[in-house]
Amino acid sequence: MTESKKDVIKFKMLKAIDLSGFTVFDPVLRLAFGEDPKKQFGSIVKYIFIPIVFVLTCLWLWSWIAPHHKTKSGEVPTPRDVLNSVSVNDTIADREAIKSQDFLLSGEKRQARLSEVKAQHAALKAEVDRLQAIVQTREKEKADREAAIIAPLSERYEALRSEYREAGKERDRLIAELSEDLAAGRIQKMELTAAIREDGEISDVEREELNALKSEIDEVRSQKYRPLEIARKEYDSMADKLFFLGTRLEFLEDRNLNVRLDEARSRLDGYMADLAAAESAKDALRLAKRAVRAEESVDRLEGQEYASAVTIYHQTKRSIFTVFIGFFMAAFVAIPVGIMCGLNKIFMACMTPIISVFKPVSPVVWLLIFQIVVGAFFPDPETHPLFVTLGSIPFISSLDVNPALIFSACTVAMCAVWPALVNTALGVASIDPDHVNVARVLRLGFWNRLFKIVIPSALPLVFAGLRISLGVGWMVLIAAEALSSSDGLGKFVWDEYQNGSSLTFANIIMVCFVVGIIGFFLDRMMIILQRLVSFDGKGASV
Amino acid sequence: MREDRYVELFEVVKAYPNPFGQAIKVVDGFDLTMTQGEFISVIGHSGCGKSTVLTMIAGLNEITSGGIVVAGREVVGPGPDRAVVFQAPCLLPWMTAFDNVALGVNQVYPHASKADRAQIVEYSLNVVGLADSMQKYPREMSGGMQQRVGIARAIALKPKMLLLDEPFGRLDSLTRMELQDVILNILNFEKITTMMITHDPDEAVYMSDRICMMTNGPGAKVGEVMEIGFERPRNRAEIMNTAEFYEYRRRLLQFLDECEHEKVERAKKAAG
Repeated sequence: MTESKKDVIKFKMLKAIDLSGFTVFDPVLRLAFGEDPKKQFGSIVKYIFIPIVFVLTCLWLWSWIAPHHKTKSGEVPTPRDVLNSVSVNDTIADREAIKSQDFLLSGEKRQARLSEVKAQHAALKAEVDRLQAIVQTREKEKADREAAIIAPLSERYEALRSEYREAGKERDRLIAELSEDLAAGRIQKMELTAAIREDGEISDVEREELNALKSEIDEVRSQKYRPLEIARKEYDSMADKLFFLGTRLEFLEDRNLNVRLDEARSRLDGYMADLAAAESAKDALRLAKRAVRAEESVDRLEGQEYASAVTIYHQTKRSIFTVFIGFFMAAFVAIPVGIMCGLNKIFMACMTPIISVFKPVSPVVWLLIFQIVVGAFFPDPETHPLFVTLGSIPFISSLDVNPALIFSACTVAMCAVWPALVNTALGVASIDPDHVNVARVLRLGFWNRLFKIVIPSALPLVFAGLRISLGVGWMVLIAAEALSSSDGLGKFVWDEYQNGSSLTFANIIMVCFVVGIIGFFLDRMMIILQRLVSFDGKGASV
Repeated sequence: MREDRYVELFEVVKAYPNPFGQAIKVVDGFDLTMTQGEFISVIGHSGCGKSTVLTMIAGLNEITSGGIVVAGREVVGPGPDRAVVFQAPCLLPWMTAFDNVALGVNQVYPHASKADRAQIVEYSLNVVGLADSMQKYPREMSGGMQQRVGIARAIALKPKMLLLDEPFGRLDSLTRMELQDVILNILNFEKITTMMITHDPDEAVYMSDRICMMTNGPGAKVGEVMEIGFERPRNRAEIMNTAEFYEYRRRLLQFLDECEHEKVERAKKAAG
């Protein structure tokens, strides 16, 4: 049987799908190669189409239920709101990037950019004014429409109110008469109380009638007028853009780094010239002091960077970086210690109490402990050699490594170390006795035995442990960041919760998805690694 | 070192404690001497302690009392001078056939050059008929091929003694015959003193110079030793056609039958 080139490609792709654990896409690929379409369609319907329908149903249920639950942070966001918050966050990130560029521009480039943005700003300003006019017209329209509906209602309301007021006065008068009759002994007490009771009932009915009418009027007022809503939305989005262009103008003019530097320098030059021309000692002292201050401010400006607002992308990058630091710290400890535990029963007996006691400790407790312990190592983080070095490495400098990141990573490591350790120990201890016999017959030395037999046979379990560790670490990290205000996705959620803007709730749910999706990919990565090192060619469970 | 007493087992005893802490002697007073280059099969009912004897020679199992001497040296632990082929191939699944064999070769010839060692590995794999599969992993090979690697790994060590622990027990009968010939073929020019544990009377008669029949355990010992008079090199078809073959086979089966009978008698006596 000859294998065609196509078959080879197909086989390789199927193998890649199997390796990565996305076996649900297997029938799609087979279908693409035209293999038994009927069977493949069956599989696609069963394992892809039906699950998609299920997920869509869940989304639909969510979007249906969400608006019915009012919370103090506003309505529960629908899937659409969450999607919207993705694009809002994306825009924020884009704008921060543009602003930081503008901030650093100098010379002709700055001038060119400035005139460009000015033109845009002017054009947009006209547009915004136009939209504002539209909004005003629509508001007026709405008011007119409401007035048309409300006028008869409020007329009736006024009429009824005065009518009822009159009726009420009349009843009061009658009651006063009755009370005089009672005092004169012309009627019974019962008659007076009956009259008062009747008056109360009638005024209740009247009040209710008036209230009903009033709420009808309010209802009309609160009704949304779609054209106005649309106009407002358009206006808001344009006004937002205009505001952004305004900020850009600031960053290209007054707040631009180079503009400010030039100003400061020319001021300094001025003082210097004045100083040179100073005649009296008093003037010289005053001008020298000024010049020194101006010098200082030039120095300060030279080192200045754009203080970017934190974006979701920055927080995500930082979280992933932190989790890997913690994960590698955990692996660095867990693998050697685990191997020793598996090899030596006495060592295992020594480690067992430590593992048993510290494994169940909550990450929150570790976080607090590390916050204190790590903090003590870096009394002055700004000048500490570790952070200075890390700050000079290109990619890492953008992540702002600080003590908060270190203790978050330590917390991750502390919680992630146990699954890897226990699994490694188990893998080493459960080595096939036949393989041990082979090693004994060949009289392999300790290192040969370790690297040729013990570690390879334990690797699948070691990686199973590391996979659990990374999953645990990722979960722990988000909580640690939220609690310790260390920059990352956890802090993003916490800040949103504290800020309470209209987007808050949607942003929190968006982060929930971001964390989940990243966690999923981290797990997939570990599965692939685990499969690659598994000697039996079989993979871990998915 | 005497050639006629190349391997000597003297009063070998293996005892395991039962749950009450009393020693139960599985093998009790096993005596056997082998000349250099001799092939002895040990046959007996399952559980009689055949494998125990072999693992004691290999040094994988401690000797309770008595002594084993191989090539003038007393056995105190395992070592590559007594290569073992286990019932399961016991290959390391993360290594190719070549690397599996090389693992032992590197250990036995630590001072040889890399090329020399590679040559030894290739030679051994060639001899067992795996010249084309050196870079295959165990999972890519059939059970028979895996066991061939096991044999190659053993002979590459140039051992003083080859220990075969039911090496064909898990193979189908065709593969089994092929591998029997592979081993006989190797022994024809390597002349390694060999002990094989087996269940199969045909195999024992076809391959051995002597067959050591063990009595049933506990307290198993050598019951009877039978000389097999066929010349080497041997030809299966010729041997199967001789009357002697069937006579040897009959005697073997008779012995095993008597052992079984005795066991039943003993059980009856114990019960009554």
